[in-house]
Amino acid sequence: MEVLNSIIEHINYIGAVALFVIGLYTVLTHTNLLKKVIGINIMETSIFLFFVSIGYVHDGVSPIINLGGDRVIYVNPLPSALILTGIVVAVSITAYSLSLIMKLYEAYGTMDIDEIMELRSEATNE
Amino acid sequence: MNNIHFPVYILLLLLATAVIIPLVGKDSFPKIKRMMMTVLPVTWVISLVTLMKVYREGSFIYNFGNWSEKIGVQFVIDEFSALMGLFILTMAFFIILYSLKDIEHEIESDQFSGYYTLVFILLFSMLGITFTNDLFNMYVFMEILSLTSCSIISIKRKKDNYMASFRYLVLNTIGSLSVLLGIALLYMVTGHLNITEAARNIAEIWRIYPSNILVAVGFMLTGMGIKAAVFPLHIWLPDAHSSAPTPSSALLSGVVVKVYIFTVIKILFKLMGINIVKSLGVPAYITYFAAVGMIMGSVFAIGQKDIKRMLAYSSVAQIGYIFLGLGLATKQGLSAALFHVISHALMKSALFLSAGAIIYKKGKRDIRDLDGIGYEMPITMVVFTIAAFGMIGIPGINGFMSKIYLSFAVLEAEKPVYLAIILASSFLNAIYYLPIIISAFLKEGKDRKNVMKMDDLPKRMIIPMVCIALGCIIIGFYPQLIMDLVEKAVPTFFMGN
Repeated sequence: MEVLNSIIEHINYIGAVALFVIGLYTVLTHTNLLKKVIGINIMETSIFLFFVSIGYVHDGVSPIINLGGDRVIYVNPLPSALILTGIVVAVSITAYSLSLIMKLYEAYGTMDIDEIMELRSEATNE
Repeated sequence: MNNIHFPVYILLLLLATAVIIPLVGKDSFPKIKRMMMTVLPVTWVISLVTLMKVYREGSFIYNFGNWSEKIGVQFVIDEFSALMGLFILTMAFFIILYSLKDIEHEIESDQFSGYYTLVFILLFSMLGITFTNDLFNMYVFMEILSLTSCSIISIKRKKDNYMASFRYLVLNTIGSLSVLLGIALLYMVTGHLNITEAARNIAEIWRIYPSNILVAVGFMLTGMGIKAAVFPLHIWLPDAHSSAPTPSSALLSGVVVKVYIFTVIKILFKLMGINIVKSLGVPAYITYFAAVGMIMGSVFAIGQKDIKRMLAYSSVAQIGYIFLGLGLATKQGLSAALFHVISHALMKSALFLSAGAIIYKKGKRDIRDLDGIGYEMPITMVVFTIAAFGMIGIPGINGFMSKIYLSFAVLEAEKPVYLAIILASSFLNAIYYLPIIISAFLKEGKDRKNVMKMDDLPKRMIIPMVCIALGCIIIGFYPQLIMDLVEKAVPTFFMGN
């Protein structure tokens, strides 16, 4: 029962770690470039979830003066603020990598990294 | 001349230049050149004044918008960050001066303004990382740095460049995300993002949460290791550095990789503190990877035919030297590492710039085609020879001095095994650098008789190369010039203990 309780209490962290591993696995094993980018996005989301979970306080309200009336327990607003910046960074990385994939598709006519490597090795052997 | 805002002015000037360059217009490249060549010396002078101020009055902190460091972003300008800021700007000045001519050869003319915008944002983020004392701010600057350093590779419209920068981007992002996860784990136990505050908390609580802190350090070091190309994580580096336009290769190999090493130093010695790091056993592992990298980087370099690819693999080996120095976790080791950061930046940019000059003039990238080139381009090849001798460790050039310092540091730390590895790595360096020099000066050229003539290169390309090579020789004969500054910078990391 205790184990179950602690799992329920820390479900955010467990979810974040699971997502991180799924994302890393996708990046490393998939040969399709688009899937690699999706894997990176999953990794990013997992860390955002992790970071925001750190700031959560049980029964806390959002940290605006007098919003919670007499309750003075607030959640920590700093991680959420940081993650806003993190999301912006993640979007720019995604945009840049997608544009690179477009260029690669124009150059090689495929999005599969194995096929690209084959084409490249053929080009160097000739 | 006593303004505490100076470091911020440097960043603002660089950022403003980056914004203005595209506004000037694509057709007026001369105007952009003039603007860059005024902005860079101005920032250089400001950073020199900052360094003088730090030496005169001691280090100072800068809180943005006067927010307290508990919630705001903080810059620390101490002997280390002021010196390294000056170092980055010096290297950047020479490389950009060289690039003004060379870049016309590398990319198309409508991309010039875009390229220099990216370079200035790159400089901005490197200085930001060096000055900042805030973990999340460091992460943001790191992401800016990784995006811009990928883009100055992919700006060349070639297939290889797209592939190299995509691989670089993916690995870089994995690295940044590991660093961010490490920061999150540390924030969990310390509740601070400011390095000084977090270090104070870690010193109190590390016995309670040793595994949490070990995991955090592990994630951060692995992430930084990917970005700084420590041996098994270096796979992106040869493609990226060899396919990039020459000025970008010199910047990436000479300076960008070093900036990540500064963050590793900050994390290990400022955030964690030397005692905690040692009792967690982290430095020993760093030295193992460094030692393997020193040997394997050189072994891979021997097999290369492309001159820039060979230089890129040689960077892997040289980064091993730096990590060996800081993995020793002693004052001597760290000063040797920082000295090698500076001397490797000088040598590697001299090598890349002279290789770029050969490609610019002759279009030859293959090492086997370089017979007799010393008679066609004597200045270029003399610069190349000086820097290559430095890499091998011939006395009189700065590479020799950094090897001496590193060897003494290794002996001081009572780990003589690494001395053998340093020697072996030097021999391996000789195996792949000497044949180029021999074929350039001693072999008969294929197309023409070996008659000496001066290089037919633009002055703007020769002057930076010669200045950097002179720098190598001057530091080789008077290493104390740099070592004194470095030895003032090192104690900032050992203050807490």
